[in-house]
Amino acid sequence: MRHIWIMTASDLRQRVRDKSVIIFALVVPLALMFVFDLTFGGAGDIELDPVDVAVSAPADDQLAAGLLDGTFAVDAVEVTRVDAADADEVRSLVDSGEVALGVIVPDGFGETLTSGAGPVVQVVEGEASNLSSSVVITVLEAVLDRLTSATVAATAGAVAGVPHEELAAVAEAAATAGPRLAVTEGEASTEQLSFSGSLVAGQAGLFLLFTVGFGVLGLLAEREQGTLARLQSMPMRPGLIVAAKGLVAYILGVVATAVLLTVGGMFFDVGFGALLPIAVLVLCVVASAVSLVFVIARLARTAEQAQISQSILGMVLGMSAGAFFPITAGGFLGTLIDLNPIAAFMHGLGITTGGGGVGDIGQPVAIMLGFAVLAAAASRLVPDRGAAS
Amino acid sequence: MRAAVAITRVELLRFLKDRSNIFFVFIFPLLLVLFIGAQFGGGSSGSVAVSGPSGALRDDLVAQLEDADVDVEVADADGMRELVARGRADVGVLLTAEASAAYDDGDDLAVQVVVGNQAQSQVSAQQVQTAVDGLAAAQGRLAALVHAGADPAAAEQALTVAAEMVRPAEIEVTNVSEIAQEFSGLGQFDYGAASQLLLFVFLTSLAGSTTLIQSRRLGVTRRTLASPVSAMQAVGGQVVARLAIGAFQGVYIMAATSLLFDVQWGNLPLAVLVMVVFALVAAGAAMVLGSVLDNDAAAGGVGVGLSLVLGALGGAMYPIELFPDTLRTVAHVTPHAWAAEALAEVQRHDGGLVDILPQLGVLLGYAAVLVLVGAWLLRRSLERAL
Repeated sequence: MRHIWIMTASDLRQRVRDKSVIIFALVVPLALMFVFDLTFGGAGDIELDPVDVAVSAPADDQLAAGLLDGTFAVDAVEVTRVDAADADEVRSLVDSGEVALGVIVPDGFGETLTSGAGPVVQVVEGEASNLSSSVVITVLEAVLDRLTSATVAATAGAVAGVPHEELAAVAEAAATAGPRLAVTEGEASTEQLSFSGSLVAGQAGLFLLFTVGFGVLGLLAEREQGTLARLQSMPMRPGLIVAAKGLVAYILGVVATAVLLTVGGMFFDVGFGALLPIAVLVLCVVASAVSLVFVIARLARTAEQAQISQSILGMVLGMSAGAFFPITAGGFLGTLIDLNPIAAFMHGLGITTGGGGVGDIGQPVAIMLGFAVLAAAASRLVPDRGAAS
Repeated sequence: MRAAVAITRVELLRFLKDRSNIFFVFIFPLLLVLFIGAQFGGGSSGSVAVSGPSGALRDDLVAQLEDADVDVEVADADGMRELVARGRADVGVLLTAEASAAYDDGDDLAVQVVVGNQAQSQVSAQQVQTAVDGLAAAQGRLAALVHAGADPAAAEQALTVAAEMVRPAEIEVTNVSEIAQEFSGLGQFDYGAASQLLLFVFLTSLAGSTTLIQSRRLGVTRRTLASPVSAMQAVGGQVVARLAIGAFQGVYIMAATSLLFDVQWGNLPLAVLVMVVFALVAAGAAMVLGSVLDNDAAAGGVGVGLSLVLGALGGAMYPIELFPDTLRTVAHVTPHAWAAEALAEVQRHDGGLVDILPQLGVLLGYAAVLVLVGAWLLRRSLERAL
């Protein structure tokens, strides 16, 4: 046991003096968190701002008035209606930035609609256009669909032989005669990382493989430098050398991830929940990363090859886990991504953020530990190509 | 001159023979262009996870959403909540067994919607509302006709005929904002290709600064200077070599994205000129880094980290046009922002040499300072190597 501690302590001292581990494990991910928060931080802001909309519509057109009334009744956003005299005024209001959105209802809108000729409503988005504008446009489309639906009902009435004088009533009834299909707010999952939360968790996960690589891949560097042979000639079991490298990697991984989550959480005001389940998640994700790097250490012939494979795997695992932005993937690809230990780590942090305890993080923990066990088994089974060469 | 060319040739050969470059220089940039194009440039308008028993309600809702170009994934209730929580779907929809039965019977029902925290979530929630309204309208039309005395079967047939006769009312959206104009006419992969070009030219150059350190450590520099090669020639060779490596990466990305993703670079000689001047800035930065640090692993870390941070700040990961105003001003501290502006001018606005002169001037200024400082530092470090 003493041998392990001596080797581990010596390696840790070397790694700390060799500043590359501090740069890769702490400085780069923290710097990236800051810059990403600065640059795409705004994209994660989903507050819907109030929006001003200029409109022009033909006078004495009931359907046009109904279209606008229906659109402005939207309750998801606060909309201010600015009535303009004509289409040109709408455009100039949008151009000048006074309003975010312009809606121009064409002359003869009602007649074109009821005759089934399909009127076209012009929408102009300006400089001030934002998410709220997109919501208003979607609502406008919905009201137009409703009006088209009434026309379809009246036309179908004529086809089905409903008396002509009753067609207007059919059109009107189409909107109300059917059952009411209401949309209510469902219960959301609380296991949700905020934008900054996923940024911190993602960068911590992305750089983990690089960090633990500094420990395990020391084996290959020692082999190249000839110090491994010297260590092996010492009166101790050879397995202890590998165990010491694994321990160095594990300590580096745990310390770096803990520091990143703590510092990142403090800077961006993100809480990941209770300490114990977070600690369990960190211990598990580092275990899976260390096991994976052991597989690389066996397969690579040189330290350089190992570093390349580790960088590729680190990038692929980190990005597919959503370290930069969430990946919209379903089906087989989604399942495959779910088995990624970094994705499981981020998922676990989502659960702890929502107040989950150790009992709630069973699934991500199982994925990470399963990955660690499989990778550890693989690292024993695959041939040691570096020793063979 | 011959000595400088020989050094350049050796460095370029070394770069090409480095196996790590097969992935990071040739494959990775193209994967990212593909990835960015697929994530941001696709025609989908939001993603919705739907859960509920199979039946007419779920089928009709999914069909309505898909008609509106929304990506739909069907999952169970927990799966749907998880998809929303993990940002893989903007919005989740929960259809209960009661709602499904009520839909079949033509009764009132409620659909539950879970809104996520993605930027697109509110818009997708509205898409769901529109789709549900569409279902209600379909039932309303049938009920109105039946109420007016039509036979249900005949009414359904008449509605099918009428749907073909009536042209739906539509909206036509034009966007007059500067940002929309800026990105109009831009192909799905064009922005991704331009941003990755800048990111990787800088990254490859800076990551290559480790070879400068290795040359000193392994004694290559000492041996070079022992031959009839002056320090000036050795430094000149290194400058040209760094430039050649950066430019090689740039030309590769431009050619590959044009061929594979049909990316339009505008006036090609001008786009190449911008890229080469930017590569010269990167070459200068690599010389500074490779001369200041003596630890190649640390230089690799600083090189990659600095390139990613400067790239993100300079608009190589997220369009600089979408930055807040203050940040956009700050971003112009990076050469990336100036190069991105020049490329945008050439790529999107048919800009000529005169239009990009200011940006080229700034980039040349950066290059001059960095190359001179780098050369001076390298010369000093060469003396140290002796």
